[in-house]
Amino acid sequence: MSVEQWVFWILAPISVASAILMVLQRNAVHSALFLILNFFTIAIFYLVLGSPFLFVVQIAVYAGAIMVLFLFVIMLLGVDREESLKERIKGQRVLAIVLVVGVLAEIVTAIRLGVGISAKGAAGWDLVNKGGNPQALARVLFRAYFLPFEITSVLLIVAAVAAMVLTRERLSSVPDADMDVDIGEEEEALA
Amino acid sequence: MNVPVGDILVLAAILFSIGTAGVLVRRNALVIFMSIEMQLNAVNLTLVAFSRELGSLNGQVLAFFSMVVAAAEVVVGLAIIVSIFRRRTTVNVDEENLLKW
Amino acid sequence: MLKYIWLVPALPLLGAAFNLFFGKMLGKFSGMLAAALVGGSFVVSVLAFFELVGKPAEERVYVAHLWDWFTSGKLSVGADLRVDVLSMTMILVITGVGFLIHIYSNGYMHGDERFSRFFAYMNLFVFFMLTLVLGQNFIVMFVGWEGVGLCSYLLIGFWFEKKSAANAAKKAFTTTRIGDTFFVVGLAMIFVHFGTFDFDKVLNSHTAGTLSTATLTAISLLLFGGAIGKSAQIPLHVWLPDAMEGPTPVSALIHAATMVTAGVYLVVRTHVLFTTTSLNVVMIIGLATALYAATVAVGQDDIKRVLAYSTLSQLGYMFFAAGMGAYGVAMFMLVAHAFYKALMFLSAGSVMHGLDGETDMKKMGGLRKYMPITAALFMIGALSQAGVPPLAGFFAKDPILSIAEKSGRMVPWLLADIAAFLTAFYVARLIFMTFFGKERSDKHAHESPKIMTVPLMVLAVGALAAGFLDMKGLLPSPEGIFGRWEEPVTGVFAEPTGGLPESILIVISVAIALVAIWVAYTVYASERWVAVRERYSNAHRVLENAWYWDAAYGWVVERPAKGLARFAAFGIDKGIIDGVVNGLGSVTKGISAGGRRVQTGMVRTYAAVFLLGVVGVLAFLVVRS
Repeated sequence: MSVEQWVFWILAPISVASAILMVLQRNAVHSALFLILNFFTIAIFYLVLGSPFLFVVQIAVYAGAIMVLFLFVIMLLGVDREESLKERIKGQRVLAIVLVVGVLAEIVTAIRLGVGISAKGAAGWDLVNKGGNPQALARVLFRAYFLPFEITSVLLIVAAVAAMVLTRERLSSVPDADMDVDIGEEEEALA
Repeated sequence: MNVPVGDILVLAAILFSIGTAGVLVRRNALVIFMSIEMQLNAVNLTLVAFSRELGSLNGQVLAFFSMVVAAAEVVVGLAIIVSIFRRRTTVNVDEENLLKW
Repeated sequence: MLKYIWLVPALPLLGAAFNLFFGKMLGKFSGMLAAALVGGSFVVSVLAFFELVGKPAEERVYVAHLWDWFTSGKLSVGADLRVDVLSMTMILVITGVGFLIHIYSNGYMHGDERFSRFFAYMNLFVFFMLTLVLGQNFIVMFVGWEGVGLCSYLLIGFWFEKKSAANAAKKAFTTTRIGDTFFVVGLAMIFVHFGTFDFDKVLNSHTAGTLSTATLTAISLLLFGGAIGKSAQIPLHVWLPDAMEGPTPVSALIHAATMVTAGVYLVVRTHVLFTTTSLNVVMIIGLATALYAATVAVGQDDIKRVLAYSTLSQLGYMFFAAGMGAYGVAMFMLVAHAFYKALMFLSAGSVMHGLDGETDMKKMGGLRKYMPITAALFMIGALSQAGVPPLAGFFAKDPILSIAEKSGRMVPWLLADIAAFLTAFYVARLIFMTFFGKERSDKHAHESPKIMTVPLMVLAVGALAAGFLDMKGLLPSPEGIFGRWEEPVTGVFAEPTGGLPESILIVISVAIALVAIWVAYTVYASERWVAVRERYSNAHRVLENAWYWDAAYGWVVERPAKGLARFAAFGIDKGIIDGVVNGLGSVTKGISAGGRRVQTGMVRTYAAVFLLGVVGVLAFLVVRS
């Protein structure tokens, strides 16, 4: 077995295990930490798949920024909240298991059926990746995909502004819709 | 590249389904959100694998954009969760049932 | 003036329109306007009469084609008026008596809330009645026929706040409707066999002779069915006594002088179509009504109901005469009856007016001291009805009785004599109970104003003197002036010979009248009637309830109809139709109540369902490839 295969077969179980553990943790902070571990493994997979650029981006953006943001918010909203194990919606767990197994089965079937599997990389891969992966990506990104690039930059600004608007402190003179009262009345009316 | 691409795809599928399970089973809004992120990651993995397989950089570019958009989405989503929390001091999605008849 | 004959119906119509729209503005003036317009019609009729008289007898027909009304296939109907001896008689009676009654009403209805509406209806009625008798074809006549029925309903129920009045109006309308149905079927048959409705084409003996006897009998009986309804003969007579709920001028005009005589007019007009069989039916029904109503009138204590049953009885006499073929005699009786019956009704109204609306004769008595004019005029009308010579009623009734005897119809003659006895009896009873004897009323009785008594005087002149029209050498005869005047329409009546001599018959009928009056005097002029009533209380009760005829109808007709209506209303309408509609609503509600529970508001349920869809789509894609 080659190096890649070794790497793959060691990291794959870790990846899956961390994912499962993430879902099963009752403490939200623990979940976040396991997710970070998962992201790391995926980053290495990117590297194995011949994309060092994405390897770095994954770690920097996902694990570094997004998960940190998550952790901030978790701690803001009460780090010691523990979810109870009791499931209130009837049949939800059963349905979830059934559906998830179904999805998995279908995708695996699709993979087995539809994809031509070959053990070596496509011809011309090195040609495409000429000059290193970042350079190659830059060639594609700033020419063919320039418009989407600009749009996503606008998107990022919009997201930042939205976050500020949604979470700003309301001045006492601007009345908030008193949602609790309205809801109460509605529920009384419907009851 | 010696790893058969099919195996990677299967791995991605497994990660995706685990993320789906997390969305359905958990009640904490933040954990649900994290599961969604895991789904996105699985998809990105698929894209990169195919990019390698087909000898084209489009998959990697797409994965890159996906990451950017995911970042923006996380920002806005967390802002929403925070503002909901401010009103109701809960992140339990079961209590967000205003759409009930 | 014949050219302007359309004015005769048009003037009252104008009055009706004016009073309907501007009545409130006109106020008290509306009554005078209405009376004046009817008076105007009378003037036009009189002028037309003179013009008609100026022509030789065979040419006394004038047809005015006003406009083309409608054409449908082969049928073409015009708004045509016909003035001949028969319709001229009728319009003179209608407008003349109508005019007097309108004047009277100005006094009687004084102070009523809906004063002008009353006169609008009265004028409208006069319009329709004139249309009925002036029609040149059956359709125009039918318009008038229906119209008078409508006005009768409106006027009977004029004081509709009173439940009994509203019910009486409905009863009148529905009962006459039954008759009208027969009438319409008759019209249809006429169209089928004649192809037209025009009188000139239908009512001549040549075309009529081409049809089979059975057809003619059928047609004439169907038309007579309408007459039974409108003229309140047995078995459709039940509405007339109840119609007394209406104001007294209405009773006088509609239910004495004019509308109820429309049936007689119809029979006389269409007599060409009547076969021996149908004439016998007419005669029998007329006689039966005459006798029945006379017995019932004996048992009535309400002054107006006595007069109502009396009208039924007199109408019966008219049909009796018509059924024997003596159409001119029937018409003269119609004219005389119009005078003395209207006189009596209006006088009764005067009595009621003087007693604040009291109609129960048990509570009257000795009133001639307080209302001498009314009493005297009422007595003139009563004597006329009783058939005492030389008043008009004698000249009307006697020919009928003698024709019956002379033509060999002995049983009918005897029955008619019994009815004549009862007629004189009950009318004398009315007079004695009201104006003579002990004063049983505690109300302050007073005479009526001149505006009411003067028309009565004019009518009294007619009741007194009209007899001379029917005289031939001082004796009543179908060949008097009136009889010969009517001949162009009625045909010459072959007076039967044989039987008892005329003089004997006259003596018999006068004797009957006088004896009846004397018996009434002995019982009712004193208080002896109270004891007599005690003794015969059972018989009295039967008569008072009109031999329980109305009660019988209540059982046979009303209850099944109400049951059916109740079933239709509650069983079908409420149960089935409403049930279906409400059921649809409930079903929808139920479905939505069940269906909306999908909206749980639970995000995770939504996510699960979402995923379910995804799984489905994926499965489809996988399986497809």
